[in-house]
Amino acid sequence: MIEIRHLRKEYEGTTPLEDINVTINDGDVISVIGPSGAGKSTFLRCINLLEEPTSGQIIVDGQDIMEKGCDINEVRKKMGMVFQSFNLFGHLTVIENIMKPQMTLLGRSKQEAYDRAMELLYTVGLAAKALNYPSELSGGQQQRIAIARTLAMDPEIILFDEPTSALDPSMIGEVQSVIRMLAKEGHTMMIVTHEMDFARKISNRILFMADGGIYEEGTPKQIFDHPQKEKTKKFIQRLTSLTYNITDPEYDFEALNEELQAYAEKLLIEIDRTSKLQICLEEICVNNALCEDDPGVLINIDYSEKKDILSLRVRYKGDHFDPKDSDNELFNQVLEEETTTVVDLKDVEDENGYTNDITISFRWEEEE
Amino acid sequence: MAAMLLLSAVSVFGHDAPTTATAETKQGFTSIADLDGHELGVQTSVLYEDLVKDRIPNANWHYYTMPNDMILALEANKISAYLIEDVGFVAQYAQHPELVALDEVAGVCEYKVVIGNNERQEYLTQQMNEFIRKSKENGFLDDLYDYWVMNFDAETCVIRTNPVSTNENGPVDIGIEGGYEPFSFESKNEYSDFSGFDVEFMLNFCAEYGYEAVFHSVPFESIAPAAETGKYDFGMNIVYSDEREETATLSDTYYSCDIVFVLEGFNETNAGFFERMGNSFYKTFIKGDRWKLFASGIGTTMLITVASIVFGTILGFLAYMACRHGNLFANKVTGFFNWLIEGMPTIVFLMILYYIIFGNTKMSGTWVSIVGFSLIFACAMYDMLEVGCNAVGKGQVEASRALGYSDHQSFFKVILPQAAQHFLPIYKNDIVTLIKETSVVGYIAVMDLTKMSDLVRSRTYEAFFPLIATAIIYFILAGIMTTIVKRVQINIDPMHRKKEKILEGIKISEDDQFVL
Repeated sequence: MIEIRHLRKEYEGTTPLEDINVTINDGDVISVIGPSGAGKSTFLRCINLLEEPTSGQIIVDGQDIMEKGCDINEVRKKMGMVFQSFNLFGHLTVIENIMKPQMTLLGRSKQEAYDRAMELLYTVGLAAKALNYPSELSGGQQQRIAIARTLAMDPEIILFDEPTSALDPSMIGEVQSVIRMLAKEGHTMMIVTHEMDFARKISNRILFMADGGIYEEGTPKQIFDHPQKEKTKKFIQRLTSLTYNITDPEYDFEALNEELQAYAEKLLIEIDRTSKLQICLEEICVNNALCEDDPGVLINIDYSEKKDILSLRVRYKGDHFDPKDSDNELFNQVLEEETTTVVDLKDVEDENGYTNDITISFRWEEEE
Repeated sequence: MAAMLLLSAVSVFGHDAPTTATAETKQGFTSIADLDGHELGVQTSVLYEDLVKDRIPNANWHYYTMPNDMILALEANKISAYLIEDVGFVAQYAQHPELVALDEVAGVCEYKVVIGNNERQEYLTQQMNEFIRKSKENGFLDDLYDYWVMNFDAETCVIRTNPVSTNENGPVDIGIEGGYEPFSFESKNEYSDFSGFDVEFMLNFCAEYGYEAVFHSVPFESIAPAAETGKYDFGMNIVYSDEREETATLSDTYYSCDIVFVLEGFNETNAGFFERMGNSFYKTFIKGDRWKLFASGIGTTMLITVASIVFGTILGFLAYMACRHGNLFANKVTGFFNWLIEGMPTIVFLMILYYIIFGNTKMSGTWVSIVGFSLIFACAMYDMLEVGCNAVGKGQVEASRALGYSDHQSFFKVILPQAAQHFLPIYKNDIVTLIKETSVVGYIAVMDLTKMSDLVRSRTYEAFFPLIATAIIYFILAGIMTTIVKRVQINIDPMHRKKEKILEGIKISEDDQFVL
C-alpha cells in the first residue's frame, strides 16, 4: 500500500503539483489521465523520487520515503518503472538487460537470473530475441523487454509513464496486451496514458488530473460515462468529438483535414470509414454549403464507441443543398451504402442562425 | 688592465681563425654593404644583427634556433648569408669546406656568464669573476681557447684536464646550448654528456669551488630567461649588451671573438648521391653510437607520453567525477583550469610551468613536461567524458536509478561502458596529438626524440637522415599507441562479445537451445 499525502512539486516559476492526496491499494490498477501539462508524468516520477518532491509524504509499507535516512535504492527495487522511451541498456543484450539488475541488486546467481529472464521473455513473447541488442528490435519489442526487465525485479508496484506514446500505432496493441495480462494477474499498477479506451478497459480506478491536483477520481464508468465536474466533462467529450467552426470562406481546409486525421488515429477509427467521412465533408462543405455572403458552417464529428457509429453533422446558413442532387459520383456511392444513414433537415430554427442541418452516420460494416 | 690586455690578445688570435676568408663567393658578394636588401640569417637572441644594422639597414633578417640550421638554410637558398662567431665558423668549415666567410668583420662580441637570479647569486657572481680573473692570469682560458677553438677537431677533442669535484657544495644548474660546436655539444665523457669550451670551463670552475655541475641543454634564447627566473645558476655564452647588463647579472667577459658573415663558396664536394647518402647515414646513426641518442630520445618521449596519458586520464576522470553532479566549486575550478590550459599554446604553457611556476624548484624538465602534458591530457579527458556521458542520455540514468542502482552502480555499470564507445575514438586521436606535441619539450631542456635529432643534426650538419628518421619514429610510436587503444576499444566493446561468453556458466535447457 502506498499513501501519498499533500505531495507538492515546485519548479522555478511553475508548480505542476500543488497538493496531491491518494492511496494506492494492493491490486489497484490506476490510470492517470488528463490534459497535457497537467503534471501526470511529474506525479508518477515523484512517487519513486526520480523527481524530488518539494514537500509532502509518500508512505510505502508504513515508511515515509521522503524522510532523511531512508534508503531510496531499496525502495526503488520495490517499484518498477516503465518509460515512454523504453530506456533499455544499449550495451547489453536483451537477456542481460533482464539478468544484470537481478544479479546486481537482488543478489541472484547468474543461473537464477537467466531462468527468470527466460521465463519472462516467454511471457512477453520474445524468447527468440534473447541475444539480440535493443537497437536491433522494434519499439514495441523494446517496450515489452523493458516490462520484462521491470517484472524480473518482482516489484510491488509498477509505474508506467506513457508506455505507448513513443510507439507506432501498429505496435501499441502488442504492448497494451502485455500490460493487460499483468493487470489480470493482479499486479498493482499505475499508468499515465493518453489511450482512453485502454485506460477504461484495464483500470479499476481513474485519476483525472488538472489544476495541479487530482481533479476528479472514480471508476472508469464514473469518469468516462458520468463525469461530475466541468473540466472532466469537457475533457471526456473532447475525446470523442471534433468541432470545427468555419467563419471565413478562405479557411484552411488542409488544417481541418489534418485535425480529422489525428482524431481518427486517436480513436482507432478505420481508414475506410474516415475516408468516407472525408468525401462527405468535402462535398458538403467545400462544394456546396459554404456560401460566400454568409460563410457560417459548424461541423461536428462524433464517434460513439458503444454503438460503433461515426457521424458527421454539418449546420450551415444560406441556401439548402440537397445531397440527392449531387453529381459527385464518389459521394453518391457513399450515400447509397447500406451502412450510411442521412438525416437532412432544412429551415430549422437555431439560436446561432443556422438554417440547415444535415447529419450523416456511418455504421461499422460487419463482414459476412 | 691585465685582463683587458689578455682579452685583446685572444681577439687578435680570433681574427686569424677563419683561414678561408679569401675564397670567392658564389653570388659575388665581397663586402658587407653588398648584402643590403638580401635575406640574411642570424641565431635567435645573440643580437649580432645589431652590429651591422647601420651598414645594411634594408636587410631581411631570419632567426634560427640552432647555428647549423643556418647552413641548411644557406644551401637551400633561403638566405644569402648568415652571421656567426668566427670560432663557430671554424667548426662549421671543417665539415662544410664549401662555406666562405667575408673578410670584412661585422664586429666584435664579448661573452659572459649570466648568473641565476636566486639566493646564491651574490657569491656565485663573486666566485665566477674570481675564477675568470685567475684563469686569464694563469693562461687556462688561453689554453682552452687554443685547444677548443683554434685547433678544434670534433673527432679528437676531449676534456683533457681532470676536473673532478668534491661536490661538497651541492649541485649547480648550468644552461648550455648543447648543439653548438665547439662550445657545447653532445659528446659523452666521464664527466658529462657534453663536451666543449664552455663545458670544460665550467667543469673546472665546479672542481675549484666544490660544486656538482648539472648541464641543461636548452635553446639559446631560453638560457638567459631561465637564469633570470633563478631556474639555472649559470647560463653560458651570453653576448654582452647594455640592455642585458641592466636586467641581468653578468660575469666578466670570459672570451671575445669576431662576428663574420658566412656565404656559399665554390669548394663543393663531388661525391655521388649514394656515396653522400651512405656517408650521411653513417654520420647520423653509426658514428659515435649516435643511434643510442635516438634510442634514449625515444625512451624520453615515450616516458612523457605514457606517463601523461596515465596521469591525465586519472586526473581527468577524477575531475569529471567531482563535477558530475554539478558541484559548484568543483565545476568552477575545473572550468577555470580547462579555460586556462586549453587557451594557451602548449609550448607557452610548458615554459610558464618550467621557468615560473616550478622556476625555483629543482624539478627536471622531464617531470615538468609530465605535469604539463598530464594537465593538458586531463582537460581533453574531461571533455571526452562529458561528451561521451552526455551522448548516452538521461534515459539510461533514469532507468538504472529507477531499478534501484545506486548512483555509483549506475555510472560504472550503465553509463561508462556506453560512454566509452563514444569517446574512445577521440581518445585515440588525442593520444596521437599528444605524442606529436611532446616534441616541443626541447624548449625546457628535455632530451626527447626531437631534441636528440636536433643535437645529431648540429653535429653532422645534415638534415636529411635525422629528420626523416625522426618522422618515421614518430609514425611508429603513434601507430603502436593507436593499435593498443584500438585493441582496448574492441575488447571492451560489449557488441563484440561472443554469445558463448555472454551465457558463460549458464545451463540452458533443451527447449531454449535456440537462443544460441
